Amino acid sequence: MAMLLSEKQITQLKRRVKETPHPREMILDVLHAIQDANGWISEEGVELAAIILGLSPLQVEEVATFYDKLYRRPVGRKVIHICDSICCWSRGSETLMLRLQQLLGIAPGETTADGMFTLLPTCCLGACAEAPAVRIGKTLYGNVAPEQLEAILDSERAEGQL
Amino acid sequence: MPTLIIDNLTVTVPEGTNILEAARQLGIEIPHFCHHEALGSVGACRLCAVEILAGPVKGIQMSCMVPAKDDMVVDTCSAEVLAYRAQVIEWLMINHPHDCPVCDEGGECQLQDMTVAGGHGIRRYSGPKRTHQNQNLGPFISHEMNRCIQCYRCVRTYQDYCGGTDFGVLGARQRLYFGRFNDGPLESPFAGNLVDVCPTGVFTDKTYRFKSRLWDLQEAPSICPHCSLGCAVIPGARYRELQRRRARTNKRTNGHFICDRGRFGYGYVNHPDRPRHPLVGHRRVTWQEGLAALQNKLQELGELFGAGSIGLLSSSRATLETQFLTKRWATSLGSDQVCFEAHPVRDQGARVAASQPLDRSASLEDVRNCDLAVLIGADPLSEAPMLALALRQAARRGARIVVADPRPVVLPMACERHAVSTDKLARLLRGLSRPQQSALPASLEELGGSLSQALLSARSPVLIGGTDLLGPQGILALLEAAEACSQPEHPCRTMLLLGGPNSFGGALLSADGPGFDSLLEGMEQGRIKALLCFEADPLADFPDRKRIRAALSRLDLLAVFDCAATATVQEADLFFPTTAVEESTGTLINNEGRMQTFEQVLSAGTPIAESAGGSHPPRFFTRDIPGTDPQPAWGTLGALMGRCADLGALRREIEKADARFAGLSLLDANGEGRRIAIPRSRPVALQPAVANAVAPDQLSLLVTETLFGSELLSSLSPCLQEAIPAPFVMLHPQDAMRLKLEEGKKVTLATPLGDLTLILRIQQDMVPGVAIVPRLRGTALESLVPGSEPLPCRIEKA
Ligand code: SF4
Ligand code: SF4
Ligand code: FES
Ligand code: FES
Repeated sequence: MAMLLSEKQITQLKRRVKETPHPREMILDVLHAIQDANGWISEEGVELAAIILGLSPLQVEEVATFYDKLYRRPVGRKVIHICDSICCWSRGSETLMLRLQQLLGIAPGETTADGMFTLLPTCCLGACAEAPAVRIGKTLYGNVAPEQLEAILDSERAEGQL
Repeated sequence: MPTLIIDNLTVTVPEGTNILEAARQLGIEIPHFCHHEALGSVGACRLCAVEILAGPVKGIQMSCMVPAKDDMVVDTCSAEVLAYRAQVIEWLMINHPHDCPVCDEGGECQLQDMTVAGGHGIRRYSGPKRTHQNQNLGPFISHEMNRCIQCYRCVRTYQDYCGGTDFGVLGARQRLYFGRFNDGPLESPFAGNLVDVCPTGVFTDKTYRFKSRLWDLQEAPSICPHCSLGCAVIPGARYRELQRRRARTNKRTNGHFICDRGRFGYGYVNHPDRPRHPLVGHRRVTWQEGLAALQNKLQELGELFGAGSIGLLSSSRATLETQFLTKRWATSLGSDQVCFEAHPVRDQGARVAASQPLDRSASLEDVRNCDLAVLIGADPLSEAPMLALALRQAARRGARIVVADPRPVVLPMACERHAVSTDKLARLLRGLSRPQQSALPASLEELGGSLSQALLSARSPVLIGGTDLLGPQGILALLEAAEACSQPEHPCRTMLLLGGPNSFGGALLSADGPGFDSLLEGMEQGRIKALLCFEADPLADFPDRKRIRAALSRLDLLAVFDCAATATVQEADLFFPTTAVEESTGTLINNEGRMQTFEQVLSAGTPIAESAGGSHPPRFFTRDIPGTDPQPAWGTLGALMGRCADLGALRREIEKADARFAGLSLLDANGEGRRIAIPRSRPVALQPAVANAVAPDQLSLLVTETLFGSELLSSLSPCLQEAIPAPFVMLHPQDAMRLKLEEGKKVTLATPLGDLTLILRIQQDMVPGVAIVPRLRGTALESLVPGSEPLPCRIEKA
């Protein structure tokens, strides 16, 4: 379990938890630390977070399963979140979703064979003004047209392979 | 006090009342899911919509979220509102499986009712439904997540009200999931309440699975017999089998919930080993033969040795009616050797407790509303589980909760703890009578003094104590401390935990009569030749098992009237079966002095499940119903005195004979009960406790009640068996280290009563120098009874 984070990280996080009046405030920080180190948060990851935070695993899991940018299953190196909420849908996100599936050869929820991309629909990226929006890794793309997708994927892939 | 108009009717309600509750006062039930009287409103289900025609907010609003205001005009069933609700219901039903025929909730399902009320009859949605994997949540609760309508009542009950941390809400939106991190038994001792609060069939009673529909059940208002709090319950029976218990609402006592001991302890009624026939020796006889044998023997003994040779013992399980007639019968036999508790410490403790001024005795409602609770020698989860839940509600409102105890008292919330050994609790109590300011109390007296100061300045303080640890002297000191910490405007109330559901009644009736120890001496000296036990089990309940066994074997006659296969029943010369609580009517007086009656749920009889040997309907038809011999103990006592069984007349007689029971005959089983009218007088002489000598290299052995497995009747319930722990002993880490013992390993506990092999649990929050074992009936620990002076003991590796 300790393999999920270094001893030093664990000590540091525990110290920060101790300093906060409400340890629950730190749930996201601890989960992000585990996700950053491992790409996703496993069952053991939730249990480790619970120990660091002094909470029950359930209390951590409640938060971990609430946010769709916290991954409770293994994902590719870059996760593509494509918005399917109202603004983006009204501006053509369905076409984008179909095009992405074609380009990547995977269905929503799947990961490409090379382990590079995982495709996930998401409910609003907070970029409604730039609908339709797609987020790849940590980069947000607004006003995306279907024709742009191939180039975007290529550059993301190239960057991911570095 | 705003006055408003709802559906053309005017109503005035207290400030802060929401429209949903205001409508209820007019008898108008607005359809709803997420609002619950005990849990409050969250506005999550959107079903309780009403139209506000005039007032600070207008239009369609959630009635549970809008406080009633002066001059509001509300329409609960305008066309627009009805259409709104119909849509909400249709939307809630989108994912709901149409599995009512195989759902245990069917017939008592709020979703069924609301769907019908909302007028949603035809499904328009034809897409796929959301589905979930269910979890195994342990022996008590079944899980069927597909039926969920996301009202959040379960989480609010489990986490907020009950303080559980292992169950909650996972996911978001369409993926919402109410469950645990992974499969496993729910940890909260109040988990069973999920069954009552979930408005659909997600959480159902596993012990009752696929047994009956509500409309087939026989139900009646009853009282839980498994501790001294007397929570309100509704047991349900069918086919001569008690099939479940659910919570009933009594705002003065349990509120809306009950504990799992109360909910799942019902199985003793159906126990296959329950003796159901009168026995002479071990031979089955008719009632007439049995009673004749009893009368003859008593007459013979009376003639030979005088009436004083007959001892009568009842118990805290017996109803007030039974206790009263036990005493009456003793009088008519001419014997004064009658008592109501086989455990002398509990007896004396209850007698002191029953002398507390009634306006000072705290109900569970008072505890929920207190701003400071000090617990001395009281372990709520073990001795009176619902008290723990009441304390949590106080803590949620900001009350300070202080626990002083040798045991690692666990509460469903954070509290202030002081590990104090049993012998030092008296010093603490002494300090409690002398208020003093001290920021950092250095001694127990000073701690007591500072707590006393806090009690004096609190608005609604409660001092809580348990008879097992404090004993009669301690209880007396606690009552005196409460007096010293009282201000005229805000008195310090007391709540004392007693041995059983009617300890209080026994304490009132026993006056200054003998305790069981004096009956025992009579038996040992040969003065007492006959012992008649009415729902009493002296063999298990008297703390010194060897002594009681020897005394019982000297008797010429041991007659036992009981509803369970107790240790004493095995030794009886004559046995008479009595009804269980659910099989008769009667009155119990809880630990605060509240008289509460219960009604008959079912008639005694061998469950069809048992008599038909698993095949139903029975293949053979006979005129008589098997197993119907049990009679209420008060009925049998009446018959022995040549009376007819008329409960109403008996209650009027009790009232007339004893002013303390005024109002008994008027009690309504559905009501809140009624405090007794006058407390008893303080017992005259209290025997001082004699401490056992403990050598420096020894530990002292403290026996304590535990949640599951200590109380007699619930410990016989088959559905509780999985929750009863394997025998264990608890040690402070310091002692464990000194003795080189490890957590979870087998150890040998050497006591004057013999050696026992137990599992070690290391507990940080207890006092050092003590070994603590739970009372667990039917296990190696059986002969160890709480409420006695700690014995010396040793522990080593097994
Ligand atoms: S499980 Fe029951 S109580 Fe919990 S949210 Fe679903 S319907 Fe409501
Ligand atoms: S607290 Fe006591 S009376 Fe109440 S339900 Fe539990 S065991 Fe029964
Ligand atoms: S709706 Fe797509 S980003 Fe908000
Ligand atoms: S009861 Fe008001 S919104 Fe659910």
